[in-house]
Amino acid sequence: MFVGLNFFVLSESIFSTLPYLPHAFINLLMQFQPCSKKIFAVLLVSFIGFSSFFQSTPKKFPYKKAGFTERAAAAHLLNRFSFGATPNQIDAVVAKGLEKWFAEQLEASLPDTQLQRRLQEYDDLSLTNTEVLATFPRPALIQRMAIKDGVLNVERDSLGNYKKEQKEIIKKYMDEKGYKPQQDLFRQFINSKILHCTYSENQLQEVMTDFWFNHFNVSMTKNECAHFIPAYERDVIRPNALGNFEKLLEATAKSPAMLTFLDNASSSGSNTTLTKRMNDKNAQAFLTKKLSEMGISEEERQEMNQQLNKLKAYNGLNENYARELMELHTLGVDGGYTQKDVTEAARILTGWTLFPMNEGKNQKPMKHILERLGEEEFKRRGFVKENDFLFAANRHDTGSKVVLGRTFQLSNGYEEGMELLHMLATNNATAQFICKKIATRFVCDTPAQTLVDKMATTFLKQKGDIKKVLITMVGAPEFWDKQAIREKVKSPFELAISTFRALNADIIQPYQVFNWLSRMGQKIYFYQAPTGFPDRGQYWINTGALLNRMNFGLAAATQKIPGININLAALNNNHEPESAEDALRIYSKLLMPERDLTLTIQRLTPLLNLPNLDKKITAAAQSTAPPPQMNTPLADDNYITPDDMADGKRKKIKENPKAKKINNESMTSAKGNYTMLSQVVGVIVGSPEFQRK
Amino acid sequence: MIPSRRAFLKNGGLALFGLGFGGVPSFIARAANSQKINGLYQKNKVLVCIFQRGAMDGLMAVTPFTDEYLKAARPGLFMTAAKQTTATYTPLIDLDGRFGLHPSMKSFEPLFREKRLAIVHGIGSPNTTRSHFDAQDYMESGTPFNKGTASGWLNRAAGLLGHEGNPFTAVSVTSALPRALYGNFPALAINNLQDFALQTKSSNPTGNSMVSKSFEDLYDQASLGLLKETGKESFDAMKALKKMDTKNYKPANAAVYPNSPLGNSLKQIAQLIKSDLGLEVAFAESGGWDTHFNQGTDNGAFARNVTDLSTAISAFWTDLEQYHDSVTLMTMTEFGRTVKQNGTRGTDHGRASCNFILGNDVNGGLVHGQMLPLSVENLADKRDLAVTTDFRSVFSEVAASHLKIQQTTSLFPDWDGKNIGVMRS
Repeated sequence: MFVGLNFFVLSESIFSTLPYLPHAFINLLMQFQPCSKKIFAVLLVSFIGFSSFFQSTPKKFPYKKAGFTERAAAAHLLNRFSFGATPNQIDAVVAKGLEKWFAEQLEASLPDTQLQRRLQEYDDLSLTNTEVLATFPRPALIQRMAIKDGVLNVERDSLGNYKKEQKEIIKKYMDEKGYKPQQDLFRQFINSKILHCTYSENQLQEVMTDFWFNHFNVSMTKNECAHFIPAYERDVIRPNALGNFEKLLEATAKSPAMLTFLDNASSSGSNTTLTKRMNDKNAQAFLTKKLSEMGISEEERQEMNQQLNKLKAYNGLNENYARELMELHTLGVDGGYTQKDVTEAARILTGWTLFPMNEGKNQKPMKHILERLGEEEFKRRGFVKENDFLFAANRHDTGSKVVLGRTFQLSNGYEEGMELLHMLATNNATAQFICKKIATRFVCDTPAQTLVDKMATTFLKQKGDIKKVLITMVGAPEFWDKQAIREKVKSPFELAISTFRALNADIIQPYQVFNWLSRMGQKIYFYQAPTGFPDRGQYWINTGALLNRMNFGLAAATQKIPGININLAALNNNHEPESAEDALRIYSKLLMPERDLTLTIQRLTPLLNLPNLDKKITAAAQSTAPPPQMNTPLADDNYITPDDMADGKRKKIKENPKAKKINNESMTSAKGNYTMLSQVVGVIVGSPEFQRK
Repeated sequence: MIPSRRAFLKNGGLALFGLGFGGVPSFIARAANSQKINGLYQKNKVLVCIFQRGAMDGLMAVTPFTDEYLKAARPGLFMTAAKQTTATYTPLIDLDGRFGLHPSMKSFEPLFREKRLAIVHGIGSPNTTRSHFDAQDYMESGTPFNKGTASGWLNRAAGLLGHEGNPFTAVSVTSALPRALYGNFPALAINNLQDFALQTKSSNPTGNSMVSKSFEDLYDQASLGLLKETGKESFDAMKALKKMDTKNYKPANAAVYPNSPLGNSLKQIAQLIKSDLGLEVAFAESGGWDTHFNQGTDNGAFARNVTDLSTAISAFWTDLEQYHDSVTLMTMTEFGRTVKQNGTRGTDHGRASCNFILGNDVNGGLVHGQMLPLSVENLADKRDLAVTTDFRSVFSEVAASHLKIQQTTSLFPDWDGKNIGVMRS
């Protein structure tokens, strides 16, 4: 999609909310210096250092009292604080000690060699936002650049739907200029998410990254922010996932992804330095003089004045971020704020935007305000730059504001926003809201208020230390309440990743998983609302989704998902189960350790004992047609098309020796049994018991 | 004697499913028990919504062809209804002496003349954003100034139907659930009805039925109520759909759907309606409306889009002849396009557009809404067709009238404006 106005926001400058005002004009206006201008020092407040330096093993978890064996307790921990147990992981956790395992997970510093090896090919994921914009321009921009450079003839296209030869022209143009298609970046990013969650040793960090991303949701469906999402997860969410809530909140507030997703980047106050200056007589005189020196005619000046008047009436306040900051990120919808508070908070946050970046390598470099003013002057005027974040002092509303009864007097510029975030992050309502959300994720859909209160007390006392809040939760009897055990329904993502972990899957083509996730109702990174996916069993389990979960189980276990290799025999040390019952018993236990599977096995056994079943299945297996190509749910998608990924990676899989080996193995075992075994495993993965965590 | 719906369902009228295992699908039986006794047997009312993503140029779909300002602003795009001797294009279809329907939508003309098709011109959002994402988001949530609204308006509509839902009460024939159907009411997103089956992907009936039976038994004894109930519904729905033989569907009245995403979506919605599985809110989408380049006139990109839109909708209508009293269809698009054509023979993002509403209880044969002459001073921001009808006015009137939803304030929380009479009351 081609979004003219937003392209302007990115490519022009921080004055982009004034789209019709000539640049030269604004530059001139900004050159004028009222002599009494107050100088604000920029203070950078550091939030480092709340007690996260001493590592302590949490005190003994109260699981014995609740009737858990140590192994059952380890299984519960793995169910909730990882994306599922891998084979033999329960033994490892018990051997290490449950509390020590948890402490290690909180530290999140275990070496991740396997993950790093698998991520090696995803080199674009280390790019900065600036590099991303330069390397992956949006299709519409590439199209315009190609037209401008005279290689593409606009007369022959419509709607950006090119004919074959035009697609080739564009591809060649992109190769020459060193541009890559956006889908490559998004695909790498989605792949890396799947790999992180499946293979990271620091599982809790990934679980919390998932949790906080969803809490501070941004969406790939919004073109203007999609580019910034890989860096958002990498630099904003993951490093703070087990850190301090206030720091995390601040990082999201300053991130290009959030600034564009909820539009604060384009919000500006009515009462800004710029507008004030326009009303200043001395400034007017200065301007007139300058303009006549430049040879601007009276007529042209009139024209400019008209635009200026329009500008005066222009109030570019956008409340979207301020509202969600309170409703979704901190206080919660019942957190005791009013619409007036939202508007005032939005005024405080005017000027919070992103530092201009060029989209496309060969675009004319922009004159950054920093270059124009010089560093010293930039700071003197109250501008702040931190990486991609810019506080544009000239767009900040300088009037006084009141939020939640607290007055922000006279313009304190950037500091006002920092104070606002601090105030919100340390509010009682925030502590309750955040802790309830965490408990909902880790305990059950309707956590006990007593538990939430304990966690909220820690949250406030420890100044938003996320680790401490988690320690309080896992140390509380409510966490070990038998009622809550396995009460949570896995999200489709959790189902998929827990399957891969339990089956020790070798994921060569992670993107295939994304397609399945979409079918099961969780198109990750594409949830459109800032609320994030609901965390409720009922949301995930609707009829269509449940059916696709069963289909996923079958497809995964029977090796029908291309590029996901599973060696079922190896899981059982290459001992072939002697009978179907045997297979059922062994693999149920492997997939769902420490659970009472009596009923599951009881129900399934008679089916396996049908007379001549083995024979029938063997016969059927021989006549089994190759699986039909799965419909990719993204085929009609504007943003990601499944074409080139499939090509490239499929070739790879053919050459992958490991994949070949597995095929050979399956050939050596009786084909009928192999089919039987994989179908049994498929049924286990699709079974109600495996949907719970 | 006409039996009540309740009696009809209870007495096994639905044995027509002939389901091998359980007879009447559990959700239908449950619906029969939970439904208020509402007198005579009635088919469910169904509201079908089509979102035209990308922002349709309402001024080209339904052109105020007597407007000289428009003619001047669009030298390369303007068409009239007048038959010219030197005509280089097929003229517009004159609807009422002022508005002309794009010639590629000729299949809409009879529906309009029969007064089943209504057009609202100047419809749009009070929020002035020109971002596709934001405008679609607001239109689908139904709260044009609040991004954080968790639910979509169609989900709320389903929740306000006044009775329990079933797996097919609210269905979107898309690959992912659209924002309009986010929410507490269980809604189904399905791209292809044939996917609603256990994909054992084997030609082996024994293995397949073993797997299918295993799942069914497992879910039947699941201890978590939610999984048990939904499991049962899934199997019942699957069997019901299997009976329908969706693969070999033959539309009624020799209706021919275009072989396009929208055509396929509407064809499947028609199948769901005919199968009487309880569909009440349906959603489909149509793409490609963002015509910045070479929009064309009676030929070209825009013409192709409206051909697809109108032929898909009229095929749907022809196919559903027996159901005309129960079905209303409404289109929507996030905003309109600039009055002036741009430098690449297209149009850019604007404000108001038009939409189409089709049904037997629609106040059809009229172009509703208000449009002033398109002189610069009458335009929004001096460039766009001004929004004179809030989309919530039309959506809430259609929902209230057709789906008998009383609480339109819950449907559109910040809306208390007037209806403009697009439905016959």
